[in-house]
Amino acid sequence: MMQKKVCMLGGFAVGKTSLVRRFVSNVFSEHYHTTIGVTVEKKSVKIDDRDVTLVLWDLYGEDEFQRVRDSYLRGSSGYILVMDGTRRATLDTALALRQTAMRTVGTVPFIAIINKADVRSEWEIDERAIEQLREQGWTVLFGSAKLGQGVEELFVTLATQIVQTSPIPSDSL
Amino acid sequence: MKSWPGNLALHNESLFNAVLSTLDMAVFEREEDSAEFRLQGLPPDWWHLWVGPANGTVLDLGQCSPFLRDYLVGAHPIWEGQSGATEKSGPWTEPDRQGGTMTLEATALLIGSKKLLLIERLGSGFEEMGAIVQRARERMLAEERTAKSYRKTETRLISELEASERTKDDALALLQHLGLAALVLDERGHITFASDRGLEILGMTAEAVIGQEWEQALPLHKQDRVPIRELIDTASDPRKTCVARIEGPRPRWVEIEVHGDPRHPGRHIVIVHDRTELHALRRVLNEQASFHDLVGKSPTMLRTYQLVRDVAQVDTTVLIEGETGTGKELIARAIHSCSGRKHKPFIAANCAGLTDSILTSQLFGHKRGAFTGAVNDQQGLFEAAEGGTLFLDEIGDIPPQVQTALLRVLQEKEITRLGEAKPRKVDVRVVAATHHNLSEDVVRGSFRADLLYRIRIARVQLPPLRERREDIPLLAQSFLGQICTATGKTIERLNPDTLRLLMSHAWPGNVRELKSAIEFAVISCKAKEVLPIDLPPEINNAPVVPSSSVWIPLPNRDEKSRFLAALSDAKGNRTEAARRLGVSRATFYRRLVELDIDPR
Repeated sequence: MMQKKVCMLGGFAVGKTSLVRRFVSNVFSEHYHTTIGVTVEKKSVKIDDRDVTLVLWDLYGEDEFQRVRDSYLRGSSGYILVMDGTRRATLDTALALRQTAMRTVGTVPFIAIINKADVRSEWEIDERAIEQLREQGWTVLFGSAKLGQGVEELFVTLATQIVQTSPIPSDSL
Repeated sequence: MKSWPGNLALHNESLFNAVLSTLDMAVFEREEDSAEFRLQGLPPDWWHLWVGPANGTVLDLGQCSPFLRDYLVGAHPIWEGQSGATEKSGPWTEPDRQGGTMTLEATALLIGSKKLLLIERLGSGFEEMGAIVQRARERMLAEERTAKSYRKTETRLISELEASERTKDDALALLQHLGLAALVLDERGHITFASDRGLEILGMTAEAVIGQEWEQALPLHKQDRVPIRELIDTASDPRKTCVARIEGPRPRWVEIEVHGDPRHPGRHIVIVHDRTELHALRRVLNEQASFHDLVGKSPTMLRTYQLVRDVAQVDTTVLIEGETGTGKELIARAIHSCSGRKHKPFIAANCAGLTDSILTSQLFGHKRGAFTGAVNDQQGLFEAAEGGTLFLDEIGDIPPQVQTALLRVLQEKEITRLGEAKPRKVDVRVVAATHHNLSEDVVRGSFRADLLYRIRIARVQLPPLRERREDIPLLAQSFLGQICTATGKTIERLNPDTLRLLMSHAWPGNVRELKSAIEFAVISCKAKEVLPIDLPPEINNAPVVPSSSVWIPLPNRDEKSRFLAALSDAKGNRTEAARRLGVSRATFYRRLVELDIDPR
């Protein structure tokens, strides 16, 4: 079976863990529980009739006190940049993490998701900013870990891109 | 660089195990040329929970943990470096064999040639650190929410403020478009708003007005502030207004109305109407309606005013003709006031009823001893009027000898005092007046023709009041105002019936009679308006004649009866009788002689 390491990147409290838990266990908690270090989870998906195990590295949220360790990113086949639509600053963090990821793992598939689509009226990230991201070649999805909206699509889309862009190693078959 | 023993476990295995047990960690040594690790010493208690039942001491750790699989690739540089180098993996959390999770941290180190890997389970210290980070981030989130709430409130307030500003701008634009001059006063009478038009009328800037108390800020005369203060105190009646004069380089007349602010009791809206132009027009109208002390705006009088202005510009002798009481002396004064002699004396002399010698002495003066009683040198009226105007009323009544002397003065511009031989130069303008028809007097031989021609170089003919009845309301109102001011009575107007009577009266005594009638009425009046009953009986009781009727002078016999009646009513007081008839004392005396009436 093919295993692919996928890192969840983003500012703190944007919902990285919630997205993973919704995807892996289909659960959601309103309670915020910060991640220290990295939590590793696995989930298999079927891409083009092939089973792919996504090894999800749910990294701690980056802020001014904790920078993401390059070692956590090494070996990633792809990554997900998570933003909180209600906090404009998380877009800036995502842009910075994108640079870190580029420097560490090079050009691998990634998807940006703006979480908390369930409170769209409170969003601070506006259409203009989203449009600018898309103009830079980003795939930007909207989702809600709380509602489960866009979560499956997020991981499957990334897995598909990873599978399409990377050769299948013989030991993974 | 710290130096480590080559094989710690071999040298003191029991101590090594004790240390491992205390630190609660597993220690592995990497097999040479293999990806496998050999467990050193005893594994910690949690070890089987993580990897399952022990199956030998040589393990492929990359198969045990996806995290280690990645990390061990990254840890190669440590093992290829110098002895004593270490690298921590950072904490990671993975599912354990019992459905829970376990948080671990690996440390790669090189001791001598031995490539070691220490794996420890993070316990209470890690959880405490996690709790601190948790609290810090929760606090940051809370602060972000608060800041966001503030931003939203700020945005809302800015939006409301902008809407309010827009409304205010619209209102102001409307105000400016309408050209409305408005001030808003707060409860303390301080100006909180002034429209542009208001500032323009006041001739002030917003900086000088806003925040100031209105009485201090507005350039008003002290007297004008009183009615405005009253308006503010009784702002409930918006129909009340008052007129005030704005002082300054460009004085303005304004009409002020005060309204209570419907939104804020205690505040006031002051509307200022610029009435300067209206005031100027009224003044022009008033000037047309009066000329010096003459009142009237009938075409006849307007022509007379213009004639007076024209006559005043030349320095010739003027003859004023008109019935008694028409205001001949006022015309003479007006000519003097309009002339270049206005800053010099104006002397009026009545020539009627005076003897030859007295009139000569009065006009030309005398030398001490010139006649009995001439105890001092005395200058005459000609000398007294030097440089100015001498008004000779009733010139038709002067004796022939005086006419001759007067003619000489007019021709030679010099006089000779009684008792003197040497003439004196005089520079006097003579304005004469008469109610006679002097041409007829010349025919009768009672007046010198050459003197007539000398004094009649310019002529002003004053119409009798009956020929300018349209001036009667204006004259009556003017007299009413003058007399009320003099007497201190407050009478606002004439009753329409009163005015009707005044308009229909014949007014043989002309304006003087009208003034006398108004004086009589003011004395009698007890109300705010003059009623017909307040008028003298000869007016009140007289049958009303159509206003278009032409007054015909009464025959002498009737006039004699009126004079006798006036004397009787005045109990023989000739001054009072003359006043009642509306004629001067001089005229009264002259008519008594002419009508052969014995005043006693």
